[in-house]
Amino acid sequence: MLNRAFTLLLLAITSVPAIAEKATTLTIYTHPSFAAEWGPGPAVKKAFEQTCDCQINYVVLNSGGDILQRLRLEGESTQADLVLGLDTATMETTRQTGLLANHETDLAALDLPIDWKDPVFVPYDWGYFAFVYDTEQLPNPPESLETLIAAPNDLKIIIQDPRTSTPGLGLLLWMRNVYGDQAPQKWQQLSGKILTTTKSWSDGYFSLFMNGEAPMILSYSTSPAYHMAVDKTDRYQAVEFKEGHYLQVEVAALVKPSDKKQLGRAFLDFMLSADFQRHIPLKNVMYPAADLGDELPAVFDQLIQPTEALYFDPKAVNENRRKWLNEWLDAMTR
Amino acid sequence: MLPNRHLAPFSRSGWRLWPGLAIASALIVLSVAGMGALVWETSLPSVNELWQSRYLRTVITFTVWQAFLSVVLSLLVAIPIARILARQPSFPGRSVLLRLMELSLVLPSIVAVSGLISVYGRQGWFTGLANDWLGASWNVYGINGIVLAHVFFNAPLAARILLQAIESAPASQRRVAAQLGLGRWWYWRAVEWPAVKPVMPGLAALVFTLCFTSFAIVMTLGGGPAATTIEVAIYQSLRFEFDAGRAALLAMVQLAICGSLWWMAARHGLTASLLPDRQVASHRSRAGSSLKARLADSAILGCFVLFLIMPLAAILLRGLPGMGMAFFPEGSFVVNPALLDATLRSLAIALPAGLMSVTAALLMLACGTATSRPAFTRLTDVAAYLPLMVPPLVLGTGLFLLFRPSLGASSQGLVLVTLINAMMALPFVLQMLKGPMGSLDSASRQQADQLGVLGWYRWRWLHWPRLRRPLALAMAYGTGLSLGDFGVIALFGTPGQPTLPVLLYQQLGSYRIDAAAATGLWLVLLLLALFSLFNRLGMPARKPGLAATSPSTASEPEHA
Repeated sequence: MLNRAFTLLLLAITSVPAIAEKATTLTIYTHPSFAAEWGPGPAVKKAFEQTCDCQINYVVLNSGGDILQRLRLEGESTQADLVLGLDTATMETTRQTGLLANHETDLAALDLPIDWKDPVFVPYDWGYFAFVYDTEQLPNPPESLETLIAAPNDLKIIIQDPRTSTPGLGLLLWMRNVYGDQAPQKWQQLSGKILTTTKSWSDGYFSLFMNGEAPMILSYSTSPAYHMAVDKTDRYQAVEFKEGHYLQVEVAALVKPSDKKQLGRAFLDFMLSADFQRHIPLKNVMYPAADLGDELPAVFDQLIQPTEALYFDPKAVNENRRKWLNEWLDAMTR
Repeated sequence: MLPNRHLAPFSRSGWRLWPGLAIASALIVLSVAGMGALVWETSLPSVNELWQSRYLRTVITFTVWQAFLSVVLSLLVAIPIARILARQPSFPGRSVLLRLMELSLVLPSIVAVSGLISVYGRQGWFTGLANDWLGASWNVYGINGIVLAHVFFNAPLAARILLQAIESAPASQRRVAAQLGLGRWWYWRAVEWPAVKPVMPGLAALVFTLCFTSFAIVMTLGGGPAATTIEVAIYQSLRFEFDAGRAALLAMVQLAICGSLWWMAARHGLTASLLPDRQVASHRSRAGSSLKARLADSAILGCFVLFLIMPLAAILLRGLPGMGMAFFPEGSFVVNPALLDATLRSLAIALPAGLMSVTAALLMLACGTATSRPAFTRLTDVAAYLPLMVPPLVLGTGLFLLFRPSLGASSQGLVLVTLINAMMALPFVLQMLKGPMGSLDSASRQQADQLGVLGWYRWRWLHWPRLRRPLALAMAYGTGLSLGDFGVIALFGTPGQPTLPVLLYQQLGSYRIDAAAATGLWLVLLLLALFSLFNRLGMPARKPGLAATSPSTASEPEHA
């Protein structure tokens, strides 16, 4: 009896038919927060499929880094037509694979804190790294990176590891941007306040921060938007630092070996339209890359508005990342 | 009917030898090929770099140190617990306790860590108690947190395996010990130690390898980059620096350290029990029967239960608010379709994976007993543990390079995930089955040989009654491990449809904290149900006729 049940199950999973292919299928490599059921992915897919006789097929990889890795591994034989979900920290390395094509998209609609002229990558959203704090535990958070670093060691923060996490790398670049060569010393001063350095944002946010382990965690300036709009709570807020905030831009690009470049380019154009962008604020919890006007949810007006966007050219990041990482490791393990 | 050598299906010795050997070789070839493909892509850096880099030196030392501490403490907790559980065969809740012990290992680490933090973290129940009442300052972040988490994951597993070993101690020994009225120490020396000794080296190596390759837990609880294991360094080389050579080199270091341990464990490991395991009336040691002894036992056991149950209770409390949304979205009972889909998908991967790992383990064990050449036995022994020692990221990347052109369709991806999950569960499953499979004593074997009870008949009448329970437990572990798995499925691109752990991470990634906590709780409940179901299936069918013809049915361990 049991054996038969197992056999049936085995048969069931081995015989799952491959998704029936329509005339044209646009394969997009992306990451889970975009493609999740409640993320922007499904809504965007529906909206775009209405404009073309085609079908979007998401291949969901674990993170932006995994998209890059998969592309490198597959090389010329890749099945991807587009990649969506890389960011300013990984884009230069991806460019160097030589597997990406120019987008030819009109970037006039872009509304970013920086000037964007890249011929390969098209931004679809952006955000600032920021420390999110629990207003119940910490009524008066430090108002600058400097006061955080100088604060007594009983103030605890949770950060992510720059070796394994995007925000973690973001903080490394943030510190470097503000302090230059002084960064390692500042890290040493900060280290007494670091409760722990988690592997990923999820580990820290879920297991530690939401359990009240520390009043502050490295996250995004847009994080409170979700808590305010969906959880209906003002308890978690981002703190604005005087030195400015490091910028993250999420991008998509066309894959060179793809034989559906025209369709791919149509998607990139579509990406900057309101039909795509309106799903970004609450479903991806980031700023839309193009101005949405009144459509931007009201909670976004309550978020911090950093006056200065700190940003390294992706090329500089690529050249120095290993050196900066090693300096950080050295400072933190001494 | 006289059993005839030629009538017994699968009775030729080749049937016992070749399938297992083929699986072992396949595992070795896969591992070597996976790592080889990485080296092929780039060139291997010189080994000198390893010793010259302060960073890598610290990483290796730290990895070994924390794994060593975790093993010692896990076993120190597991041995007394297993002895008490063996001494006290019937107390209320024993069966529930055993299910909970089975659960801890298969919990997804993010769920377990969240539970542990609620108890031992800065705001935890235990921490408050320790600070207010005991005046001790307890800080979970650092080596103590890492070891604590590893003990939480591994001590119950170790105790479970040790209990199984103690309970399979030959009844004759137990009877003699009971007649002599041996005290605890002598009972340990005479009965328990000989029973656990054969599984001990393998068990220690298993726990060591698990802690050695631990990743997210070490980072979350470690406090900072000083707590870095080799797996972290491999991840860093492969994902951030695209230094495949360095990743392969580090993987080899890991393989060398853990592999040599397994090789030693295999050398000192299992020898078939020498005493006949014939059934006589069951006798218990008197050591556990006095009131004082019972009180002491329950005190120790009580502490262990608290240690085990508090984090689980925290997971329950945290998940409850979100459960309302998952099951009663609009006031009436409707299961959230995403949750239901993910549950079915997870089961469709986990059940075949469990079945495959149990089958593979049986074949490999049969191979170990079929040959008199110790090298073969050791080979199958070590090969089964390779999936634990080769970092999944390295193996996955290497195999991807090899099979690049033929991967693609998503259904193939899921089959691959099932296969790899089965492979990852193999070491645990093998560890569960090894003792019971070897417990057939040589006298019985010889007798069976003379009578021609071979092949299928031998399996059916000699092994099956002994193995029924361990098989059910092994199946539960094999399935449970794949059910809670996140690592393997994350390695391969999945289409939009998630499994339960993937769903949990997706919910986290979009701030759905309550929903994620509920998914975590649901996963825990599902695992619990699974372990109970398999436990039920493992109980012998009570057919009077069968019991009469098969004397060994009664000799099964009495644990629930």
